[in-house]
Parts: sequence; C-alpha cells; structure tokens
Amino acid sequence: MQYALLLLFLVLAAVIALVFIIVYLSSKKSDDELKGMANPLQKRFWFLLILFVCLGIFALITIPRSPYYLFAKEQPAKVVHVAAGQFFFTMSYKAINPDKPEGEMTIELPANQLVEFRVTSLDVNHGFAIYSPSKQIVAQTQAMPGYVNLLRWKFEEPGTYTVHCLEYCGMAHQVMQTTFTVK
Amino acid sequence: MEAKGIKKNTAIWIIAVLVLFVLSIILGIIMRLNQGGAVHLDPGTFYADMTIHGITMIGIWFVAGMAGVNFIMERYVKTSYRANTFALVMTVIGVVMLWVSTLIGDFHAGWTFLYPLPFKIAWSAWATPMFLWALAVLGVGWLVWVLSLMTALLKKYSISQVFAWQHFRNKNPEVETPPFILISMISLLGVLACLIAAVVLLVLLFAEYYSHGAFVNDALLIKNLTYFFGHTIANEMLYLGLAIIYELFPEISGRPKWKTTWYVAIAWNLTLFFVLLAFFHHLYMDFVQPEGLQIVGQLASYLASLPSAGVTVFSVIVAVYRTKIKWSLSNLLFFIGIAGWVIGGVGAVIDATISNNFLLHNTLWVPAHFHSYNAMGNVLFSLGFFHWFSVEYSKRKGPERLSSLKLSFLLLGGIGFLAAFYVAGAESVPRRYSSYPVEFTSAKLLATLGAVFATVYLIAIFLFVSSIFKRCINMVLHRS
Repeated sequence: MQYALLLLFLVLAAVIALVFIIVYLSSKKSDDELKGMANPLQKRFWFLLILFVCLGIFALITIPRSPYYLFAKEQPAKVVHVAAGQFFFTMSYKAINPDKPEGEMTIELPANQLVEFRVTSLDVNHGFAIYSPSKQIVAQTQAMPGYVNLLRWKFEEPGTYTVHCLEYCGMAHQVMQTTFTVK
Repeated sequence: MEAKGIKKNTAIWIIAVLVLFVLSIILGIIMRLNQGGAVHLDPGTFYADMTIHGITMIGIWFVAGMAGVNFIMERYVKTSYRANTFALVMTVIGVVMLWVSTLIGDFHAGWTFLYPLPFKIAWSAWATPMFLWALAVLGVGWLVWVLSLMTALLKKYSISQVFAWQHFRNKNPEVETPPFILISMISLLGVLACLIAAVVLLVLLFAEYYSHGAFVNDALLIKNLTYFFGHTIANEMLYLGLAIIYELFPEISGRPKWKTTWYVAIAWNLTLFFVLLAFFHHLYMDFVQPEGLQIVGQLASYLASLPSAGVTVFSVIVAVYRTKIKWSLSNLLFFIGIAGWVIGGVGAVIDATISNNFLLHNTLWVPAHFHSYNAMGNVLFSLGFFHWFSVEYSKRKGPERLSSLKLSFLLLGGIGFLAAFYVAGAESVPRRYSSYPVEFTSAKLLATLGAVFATVYLIAIFLFVSSIFKRCINMVLHRS
C-alpha cells in the first residue's frame, strides 16, 4: 500500500512539474507584449470544481476505511494490554498494573482472527507501530498517558512482527521495540 | 525616518534569517550523516540538534514572512517601526535562549516539546524553563508585532474592507482591497489565533512546572493545543509568503497589478476558517480523540488546499502561460516555489487522509512533505523577496551572476534530498531516529544520499545568500 501511495505521489508530482515547465517555456517563447490576462485573479470555477470533486471522491472512498471503523462490529478473539514506558513495551493478556507493570515473556496471536490492543503509556507519549515480517507498517496507534487507545487488527501473514515506538519519547526512542508472533 | 528604519530593520531580519538558515541546514546535514553512520553523535546530542533545527527553521521562516509583509505593507499603510524593532530584539533574545537551552543545556524534547516529555528531565535542569521562557519571549515579541500590523491595517480599512467583503456582492466596489492586504490580514489573524493558543499552552505548562506537580495537565488537551499552535504557525508562514507573491510577482514580471475579485475574496476568507481546523490531522492516531474531530481534520485539510492552493496556483499559471514576462531570479524563485509548494501539498493531502496516515504517520513521509513545501516552497518565496529587496534598495547593483548554476544546484539538491525522504517514508522508516535498527536495511543508504543532496542544496543556498548578504550588510552599515 505504501508503494502505491508513493507511485500516486510521483505521478502527480511529475504532472505538476510538467505543467509548470510547459507554462514557463510558453512564456519564454511569447514575444507579444499584449498577450496575457490583465488580471489573472478572474474566476476559475471549472478548475476549482474539478479539484473539489476529485478531493470529494477521495474523501468518500477513504473515510470509511479509517482505523476507527475497522472491525467495529466484531468481537475480538484475543485482547492484548500494552503499557509503553521510557523505553520499553510491556504486553500482557491481562490488565497491567501501572504501579508494577508486568507482562508476558512472549505474545502469540492467532492469524486471521480479530485482535484488540489496549494501548496506554506510563510516562510520556509513545507510538505503537506494528511492522510486518517484511518490515512494513501494517497498523499503528499512539500510547498516551491517562488514555487507552483501542487498536483492532487481523493479521493475515504468520511470522514475527516488530513493534517500534513512532512518537519521539527521549534519548533511547530509536531502540524502543518489542516483538510478538502470529501463528 | 520610520520608513527608512523599517527598511534597515528588514535588512537586519534578512541577515539574521540567512545566518540561522545556513547553520540550521548544517545541523540537518549532520543529522542525516549520523543516521547514515558517517558521523557518530550520542543520541542526546542528536536530539538536541533535531530540536534546535526544527524550532529555528519554523521561527526564521515565520519572521522572514512577517518582515517581508511589514516592508511591503508600508506601501499602503504606516506601520510601527517600534513594534518591528521590539520584535527583532525579542527574537534575538529568544533565539539565543533556545540555542543555549539546547546546545549547552542539552534540552532535547523536540521542537514540538510534546507534554509531558519536557518535564521528564534528562538534561540540565535549568534547560526546560529556559526553553519555555524562550518561547514566551518570542511569543510576546511576535504578538506585539502582529497586533501592531493589524492595527495599522484597521486604521485605514474597515473590518469589511480589510477582509474584502465588499467584493462579495459588488464587482466594482468603491474601495478596492488589494490582494496583498486581504491575504496579509487573513494570515495575521491566523497567526494571532495560534499565538493565543501558545500563550494558553505555556501558562498550563508553567503552572505544572512551578507547582512542582500539584497541578497536572491533560496530555490530550495539551497535544491539541500544541498542534493548533505548531501546525497553524507553519501554515500561516506560507501564506505570509503568498501575500508577498500576489504583490510582487506581477510587478517584477512587468505585468499589470493583480486585483481582488469576489472569487479571490471568498477563497481567502474560507482559508482562514479551514486552516484553523486542519491541525486535527496531527492527532489521527490518538483514537480517543472524538471521531467527529478526526473527520473534520481530514475534510478541513482537503478544503484548506482548495482556496489557497487552487486559486494561487491556477492564477500564477494563467498569469504566465503564453505571456511575455520579464523573468528575473526573484520571479523565477517565486514560480519554482509555487511548484514546490503544490507538490509538497500533494504529499500532505495523501498523509492527511486518515487511512493513509495509519501507515505513514511519523515515518519519514512527514518530513518529506513538509520539507517539500518549505525547502522548495516557502524558502524560495522568501529568497525571491530577499533578492528583490536587496537589489532594489542597495547601492551595490549589477547583473546577477551564475543564476542558472544556482537554480540547477537548488533543484538537483532539493529534489534528491526530498526523494530520499519520500522513498524512506514508503519503506516505513521512522522519523526522529538518531540511528536505525538493522532491520531498516535501506534507511542508512537513503540517509547518506539525503545528506549528499542536502549538501548540494546548501551550496546553492551559499551562492544565493552571499550576494544578498553583502547587499544587506551594505544597507545596514551605510545610510541609504
């Protein structure tokens, strides 16, 4: 998905760059002082309508796919509690005591079944980004002190998933990670 | 005297911005080299470098836009030399405090200083209050400046005139509001709103700091305030640059002055509204934020691009298409800057889509898009103004040399540096990592490539800056 977005961006960027180059060259070739609009700030209804419709379609397609609505009507097969702290993740099948955070040594989750992560932080803001075995982000949420974010996901690919902190949280932010297995 | 003072102050603003810009680029290159493994900073030093790089860049391009707008505004209304000088002094004091707190005090909570990280002190204890007081000093200076410019406008134009409301219903109103005045006022009002948010934010943070934990803040509220301030000021600084373009692009190009139409008036009035709501996209991954606000964030982010980008980009394109234009370095920089801005805007719209943000949030896609519309957009708007100003008002005139070389380096360096960010973003490489875990196999190479291309960009900036710098120094030292 990320590469599809990169491709979309590159195509649009190339089209925009091309338009600017063509417009610039057309100006360089022009030798008539009288050509050109006296006031370019005239109404440009059609341009804006096209832009508005394109963005409207994009919004209609994408908003229902927002993570808040994913698997909202299903019951999770597994619940994992996550407490993030500088610079560790504690994960447990049971609720975590914030005064004495203890988690499981290993977490195993079922493939193709709904898993709910209940994510919070014990100190500062952290990120909870799940990377697939091929090292692409598949899902993420934030870990915020005083709040619990519910992240629901179905893992299709079995293997070892890595969780990285994606919200800058201090000196050892870059090494804050954990793993779990999907079978 | 006052107009001369504003001119001299503008030259000082330009000198200060250029010096800090070059230093901040060097800090940026050091960060990418460290991520690539070519240099080895300890993580605390890296993050202090990251903090000062971010906050300096935001600050200097904001004041560059303000200084440019203040200078051009003198054509229409009398502005306050005292307020301009006060802002200059407060900015110098604030910047020195910021650099001391980060480079000596080792404060490294990031330029967003996301609560409660500034209070988890892993640096000199004095650095946290110094960083926050530095922001307060900057905030006071800028608030006075913004209010003085708004007051100056409102002395000449009524509220409906300054927002060009008379253009809504009348094609040829008695009093015409120049586009520059309209966009400046819209931008200043947006800046005022985000500076007020910054005041509330600082008061809440000081309350917790000085009560020694007796008063505790709410992390979600503070995050909303932080991004209302941070996102909005970053957006408004672009609009300040656009106000200058609406005024100078036709003038430098030898074309008739642009005039406000009902269409432009409505578009920019709507921009004020949408921009103030777009910041919610920074909180998409906080699922406890009410869902309605998340949707508002996506729609406002889309709609904010319609009036400002839609109108500006199409206007510039039709203004240039098959039109004989006196091309100079300044309007070329404006033109390329508009292209960079709109391309960065595409990257931003992709990321401001909630379902995409789920995959791209806090990866290198984020610095990719905001560096696009800053390094290849807003910076070029301001450089175009700096160049025009320094040539127009300096005694050191003469043909601009090496323009093609400068622009080639700028484009090559800028595009290469940004490409390394975009590709890494698509590969899910996290942002704000001092070094990369081994599993991010391409991250080091991309960081090194980014550093190499950023160095090419820096060479271009050196070439641009040296002549502008000399002319502005000359202006400050000699009475002209």
